[in-house]
This record gives sequence, structure tokens and C-alpha cells, in this order.
Amino acid sequence: MSAVSLPWPKQLSHRPLWVAVIWLALLAAPYWMPLAGGYTALGTRVLVFGLAAMSLNFLLGFTGVLSFGHAAYFGLGAYGTGLVLKFLAPSTPLALVLGMLLGGVAGALLGALIVRRRGVYFAMVTIAFGQVFYYIAFRWHSVTGGDDGLRGFHRQPVDLGFATIDIVNNTIAFYYFVLGCFAVAVGVMAFLLRSPFGRTLLAIRENERRARYLGIPIEQHIWLAFVVSCLFMALAGGLDALLNNFADPHEIHYSRSGDLVIMAVMGGMRSFWGPLLGAAIFVVLEDYVSSLTQNWMSFIGLLFVVVVLLFPRGFLGFLQQERKV
Amino acid sequence: MKAGKPAGVLGRRSVLKAGAAIGALQVASPFIIQARGEMPVKIGLVDPLTGVYAAIARNEVVGAELAVAEINRNAGMLGRPVELLVEDSANDVGTGVQKTRKLIDRDEVNVIIGDVNSGIAQAMAGVTSEKKVLHIVSGGHTDTVTGTGCSWNVFRVCNTTTMDSNAVADLLIEKFGKKWYFLTPDYAYGHSVQAALVKRLTAAGGTYQGDLIPIGTIEYSAYLIKAKAFGPNVLIDVMGSGDQVNSLKQFVQFGLNKEMQVSGTLFELESLRAVPDEARVGWWTMEWWWDQPNVPGVKEFNAAIKQRTGAAATARNWFGYASVYTAALVANQEKTLDAVKLAHALSGFKLPPEVALQPAAPAYRAGDHELMSTVFVGEAHPPQGDPDNMFKVHSLVAGEKVASPVEETGCKLQWPA
Repeated sequence: MSAVSLPWPKQLSHRPLWVAVIWLALLAAPYWMPLAGGYTALGTRVLVFGLAAMSLNFLLGFTGVLSFGHAAYFGLGAYGTGLVLKFLAPSTPLALVLGMLLGGVAGALLGALIVRRRGVYFAMVTIAFGQVFYYIAFRWHSVTGGDDGLRGFHRQPVDLGFATIDIVNNTIAFYYFVLGCFAVAVGVMAFLLRSPFGRTLLAIRENERRARYLGIPIEQHIWLAFVVSCLFMALAGGLDALLNNFADPHEIHYSRSGDLVIMAVMGGMRSFWGPLLGAAIFVVLEDYVSSLTQNWMSFIGLLFVVVVLLFPRGFLGFLQQERKV
Repeated sequence: MKAGKPAGVLGRRSVLKAGAAIGALQVASPFIIQARGEMPVKIGLVDPLTGVYAAIARNEVVGAELAVAEINRNAGMLGRPVELLVEDSANDVGTGVQKTRKLIDRDEVNVIIGDVNSGIAQAMAGVTSEKKVLHIVSGGHTDTVTGTGCSWNVFRVCNTTTMDSNAVADLLIEKFGKKWYFLTPDYAYGHSVQAALVKRLTAAGGTYQGDLIPIGTIEYSAYLIKAKAFGPNVLIDVMGSGDQVNSLKQFVQFGLNKEMQVSGTLFELESLRAVPDEARVGWWTMEWWWDQPNVPGVKEFNAAIKQRTGAAATARNWFGYASVYTAALVANQEKTLDAVKLAHALSGFKLPPEVALQPAAPAYRAGDHELMSTVFVGEAHPPQGDPDNMFKVHSLVAGEKVASPVEETGCKLQWPA
């Protein structure tokens, strides 16, 4: 990513070396993860939820509004992708794009209704709209598969014209496909945050009244941030549907929105890469600890309490802060 | 950024932190089993150990563990010890799929067993067929698992909803009459049970009415008044777990038990244990029963389970037990762990009496891979003598008699090339 060589706002506080380390770790993950007791699909899951948490953080960490219903857009992406593959056309890129658009359009429509609310009211309205989608997925059995989830579709090989990538049977190829999508999405988000639009979002987050006095159309900016966030959230959902070859109504439930907020806060919502770290900790911990004990949720809850009490800026925020001392 | 230090240079503290992190990773990372000369055959079990199905899922694990202990005491599987790896699906489809992938990708299990939740079982089947791993569904009942969603590598031990419905329907029609009233939970499982019962009832010339009731309903008086007005011979209560308890208690409190019979499909021993005496009424099916004095092996199995759980063996214990044994027996017979060969050998495979633990030795039907197990139809009652003696078996129905013919199940098996 060439963007990283340019100066960043402080909140993004990046050093080229650390960014290079992150990308190197992600690029080499299929090779070092098995040595650390992991497996490729786990790496893919980290990327999917990392992207979801980073998309949420675009809104939470950089615009300063808390959505507790973002799982809905994750689910819309997943169901959109699955339904396209099942009923429309056996094309993975088309399914992903349409799934992403479904989430984005829903975000644009609902966002317009939500952006005037602030604080806890904003969070409550997002939960309410999110649950609407959950119940649609849960009850509309003939289309969504109801509680059993949407099945009967499979990710298809990606045809580039000159070559075909087999992401169906080759889990490593699928990991790199997801990594490619992740890189594009993260690149766009980083670009937007560095643009005047992104700086304006930070200004709104820091002091909304002041920004309003400066003549900035606040609602439009929050709406745009909401739409961008929903678009990439839906992309993450679509990738999740491709990973599992099915879409799950529980992924739309507000408790999943809570998981995404936990990932963002745990990793550090004021830093660009924090949510990825949070997602990695959450997903890997869930995977390992649940094999050891049935009470794995207690450990994740306990860790979250520890993070909130001792590292209010999240793990990455804590590390960065320590470096500045 | 720290002043006076060039960007991109790692400090001493960073190196120390990285060292500590790598050190911690060595301890924190899961224990990787080293080659021990005799590599065990791994069986992965995915069940909802947390959530509403936790009690029955744990009993499947106990049964599976007993089978593994017995197999390891004897010849093992292909002469190698068996290792059972248990994962919690948390009653969540996504987690179940992820755990299945983990067991296959990381732990390299040879067989997958699970799940209690049919939706999860079916989603898991997507992974196991993709990875070409033998998959035994121990306890998910929905018809589609061995129906429209069947797969070459998937075999099921527990009955289909239709088998249980048909078994009890025949007895109700014969014993009590053909006018029924349904209390049906308004979701896929409830709809499918009602549809199966109605099909059998209307074929016999019966009539019915009923209500679709939201899950989690506490107050049933409105429905029970309607039922009373209809005056059925039998009230069919398909409600599950807590809803079943509430509806049955109110059924007795309203005195309706003096006017009509109450019945349904499954009322598992785990559920019977959890309800008060007044809800231990009605006609139900069991898929296995611990008190079969004339069947060899049942007493010993019951005693072995009692040693582990302190209570009588349940159908869930037997599901876990039979699932593990199915895999071990067929692998020993074929002398291979190749999933395609094992699946071919399991088509029509008959469980030996010491594993079947029921009057007739059932076989996995070749056309849809459903085990044609006996259905135990009988009446629930408060404990008599033994605290687990809460069910009197009235008739044993052979699985073949009540299962839909293969061509009606919608199953079309597609074998890998």
C-alpha cells in the first residue's frame, strides 16, 4: 500500500514498519498459522471479522457514532451473496458485488432515517432496524431457510479471463482471495480517512457543534460514513457466506453486533488497525478456548472487562500510548 | 512517535515484548500431539454443549465416550486406539460449521459425529461432503437430513420426524379416535411434525383443528378453551422444552386430561426428568428405552451409563454410543478409513445386537442412509420405583413400517466420482 508513506493523522498513528509487519503477517498467514496450532480457515475468519470490525470502526472510531445493529448489514451481505449464487448466477464476484450493494443500499435508506439521532438513541434505532432484518431472515423460511440458515449454494471458481482461481477446494487460494478483497476495502477506507472527507469526520467526532458552526453539513457526512461502513460490512458478510457456504440468521442478531463492537473496542477503536487485532484475539480465543472448556464465553467476557478497565483505548491504543510516554 | 529515534527502528523494549509474546505463544498455543508410534484414529464430535440442548448433547457425549472406552479396551479401530475430540457448537450454525472445519483441517479427524440441532447437522454436512469425511448425524431429527438434503457421506442414527409421528399416529387412531386438536409451535420443526401427523390422520379419514403458537408462549388458556370447544379425542402437543412443560401443566390444571388424551412425538427422558409430576402425562414416542428386560446387553449398557452419569441411560446416550460404534465397526470390517469406501459399506449395514440394543437389529437404509431403528410408543407417568421409570412402553414399531419410502423422502444420493 503506497498510501502508508504519506503523513497520517495522529489517530491513525502508523509507522511504515508496523504496517509492513501487519501485511507480511497476513500474507504469510497460511504458512505460519499451522505451526502455531492454527489452520487456514481460521485465518480467513480473522480477515472476515477483521474487515467487519474495521468497517464498524469507520463509524464508531472515526465518526464517533455507535451503531449496535451493524450485524444486519453483515447479514444482508451474506444473504445477498448466497441468494445470488443460489438463484441468479453461479459467479462469485457478481454475488459479492450484489451482496455488498444490498447492504449498502439498505444502509443508505435506513441511514437517512437514523442520522438525525445521537448517542444512545442512535444506538437504539440501529438495534431496532437490525432486528427487523433478523426476524425477516428467521421467519421467511421459503426464501432464507429460516432458523436453519440459507443453504444450497457454493462459492464458485473465480474466472479472471486468462486464468481461473480455484477457491472452491483450495483453502489457501480462498484465503488469498479474501485477503485481496480485504486489502481493497481497507485501502479505500484508509484513502477516505486521509481525504478532506475523512478529516471532516474526525472534526465531527471531536466537536460536532463546532463543526456545525463551521458550516459542515453534519448529517450528510454521518450518512455517508454510515453508507461506506455498511458497504464494507456487507462485503465482510458476503465473504463469510462464501467461507461457510451458507448464511446464518444468528449472524444478523444484535448479539453479533455486540461482538463486533467488542472486537473494535478490545483492539482499540481510535487506531486504524486496532479492530483487526481485536477481531484476531476474539476469533482465535473463541476457537481455542471453546475446545478446552464449555464456559468459553466467560473467558471472552472476562478479557473484555479487563480491557475496558485497564486498557480503555484497546490493546493497540495501549501499545501506541506506551510508545509515546 | 518517540522523539530522537528514527522511524522504523525497533527499540529494546519492543524486542523484549516480542520475545515475551513468542514465549507466551509457545505455552498458549494448543498442545500438538507428537507421533507416538501408534497414531490414534480420531473421531470428531460436534454438539451443542451450551445452550438449550446442552443436557441432551452432553448425554450423547457420554454415550460416545463409553463406546470409545470399550473399543479401546478391545481391538481398537484398525488395531489403533480411538481418540474422541469433542467440540461445542453452542447451538449456533456458524460455530458448528467452524468447529467441523477445525476438526477436519487442523485435527485431521477421520469421522465426524453430530449435531443435535438439525439445522447445524445439515450445514455441517456441507463441510463433511466437501472434505469427503464420513459423517454420522447422531441426534438431529428433521426429515431433510436424510431427505432432500441427503448426502453420500451422511448417515443418521436417530429417527426422522416422520417416523416418530407415524408411529404415534397409528396408535392414537387405533386406541382413541380420529378427531385431534393441535398445539403446534410456529416454526419449521412444528410445521413438519404437524404435516406428518395430519397426513396419517386424513389418510385414515380423521378430522382436526389446531393453533400455530409462537415459541416462548407462557399462557395457553385461550388455546385450551378452543381445544375444549372442539372436543377432540386427542390433544396433540408438539410444543418443545419449556413450552411443552407449561402447556402440559395447564392442560392438567384445566382438567382436560379427564376429557381427552394428550399426545405428541418426542418426550425425551431428559425432558421428563426436568418437568414436575403433573406434566408427566400423555402418549409419546421414545427412540430408545433403558428398560428392556428381554433384550441382551441393555442391562449392562444401562449399568455402564449409570456409573458415568448416576442415572439411567437415555436415547441420547445410545445415539452417541451407536454413532461411534457404527464408524468403528464398518472401518474394522472394510479395513480402511477411506470415506467413500466406508459409506458404500454402510449402505445397508446392519448394527449387531450388542450395539443395536433393541429387539430387532436395525440397518442403515441404502437409499437414504437412515437407520431403521425401533420406535418405542408409550405413556408417560410419574416415577414408579426407579426414579427414571417414567414411561410405560405399549408398542414397539419397526422403523421400516413408519419411515416414508425412499422415493418419497426426496433423497437423491450423488456419489463422488
